[in-house]
Amino acid sequence: MIPSETVERLMAIVPIDNLSAGMLLKSDVCDRSGRMLLPAGGELTDRHLKIFRTWGVLEADIADGDNIETAQILAGVDVDPVRLAAAEEAVKRLFRLNDREHPAIKELMRLCIARKVSHES
Amino acid sequence: MSPEAGVVSIETLLEGVSAVPSLPLFHARLDEAINHPRSSIADIAKIISEDQGLTARILKLANSPLFGYYSRIDTITQAVTIIGVQQVRDLALAISVMGLFEGIPEDLMTMELFWKHSIACGLTARILATSQRESNLERFFVAGILHDIGRLVMFINIPDLCREMLEMSRNEGRLLHEVERERLGFDHGDVGGVLLQRWKIPTRVAEPVEYHHRSMQAGQYPREACILHLADIISHALEFGASGEACVPTLDSRAWDRLALSPNLFPSLVREIDNQFAETASILQGA
Repeated sequence: MIPSETVERLMAIVPIDNLSAGMLLKSDVCDRSGRMLLPAGGELTDRHLKIFRTWGVLEADIADGDNIETAQILAGVDVDPVRLAAAEEAVKRLFRLNDREHPAIKELMRLCIARKVSHES
Repeated sequence: MSPEAGVVSIETLLEGVSAVPSLPLFHARLDEAINHPRSSIADIAKIISEDQGLTARILKLANSPLFGYYSRIDTITQAVTIIGVQQVRDLALAISVMGLFEGIPEDLMTMELFWKHSIACGLTARILATSQRESNLERFFVAGILHDIGRLVMFINIPDLCREMLEMSRNEGRLLHEVERERLGFDHGDVGGVLLQRWKIPTRVAEPVEYHHRSMQAGQYPREACILHLADIISHALEFGASGEACVPTLDSRAWDRLALSPNLFPSLVREIDNQFAETASILQGA
């Protein structure tokens, strides 16, 4: 079991797609080779986000990050609950021989569901 | 032990009644030219240019978003210079292998779907490798395209047994590669690995293919094997084409840990695969 403290730390790591201007950094953001792009305590602006993408940053440690809903499947898009349920069902079947609690599988399943719903619309 | 174990061996499969295709002589000549200390890029380009179909496809690939070069690549000489000798060789291999297999029973596998899955796996492995700053990206692309090639050999030579194993995996809700290993003592990865060795394909490609379902056992290229393992899983998850496997193969969490990736890599990864798949597949599969 992962201690709950670690879970909380993991939760504060927010994927780039969910970052927005105004968020406060809890720790330094570095590019893939470890060069620092923005120090801890900095406030994100749209320009920072653009720079992060350019340098291949995937995530950032955000103060109060655990309050941000990272589990949302399609941000800002209205999804027919029936279609969403059907997509979820199909993806679960597809992944039935995998550990659905594994972080990689979890994220992959989330993406597959979102992709199915948006492809079929 | 099942009755098939020991009766069907990888050797009998590869020397079966229905001959397994051999790699065009062209590749032996190309390798010879590449490995010869005194051959120039012009010599290598000349050999490739003799095959017009291959040349056209390599140029189309070189100008596709896969490479994303700013200026146009118009000749094989330019392609070899800009993309690199090994890379062009690997692309040539991927392209020519796709035309080699014929006579697979339609009920077992349609070639179009099979290669779709393989191309998706190759693209995924290549994009994963890019994100990890690996060098010589095309070896990942080729390994992905060839990863299930052993299954084609099995479909050709033991179609009835394959049909039985497919049914067994469907009925019992198990993975086909596990059923293969249980019934035969090896899986399609092993068959592919031995075939590629016979074709004298470098170990850096052959070994990951052999070990893509048991990547932790790969001796020389474990990282490549782990990338291929994950790429296979992702391309199944995205439901490109078909491999015979009905659901997503089980992720080996040790392979995942070894790669030390963040799941947050996946959103951009999936976007890139979706962006590149249609065009790459149409270049490779187009008439």
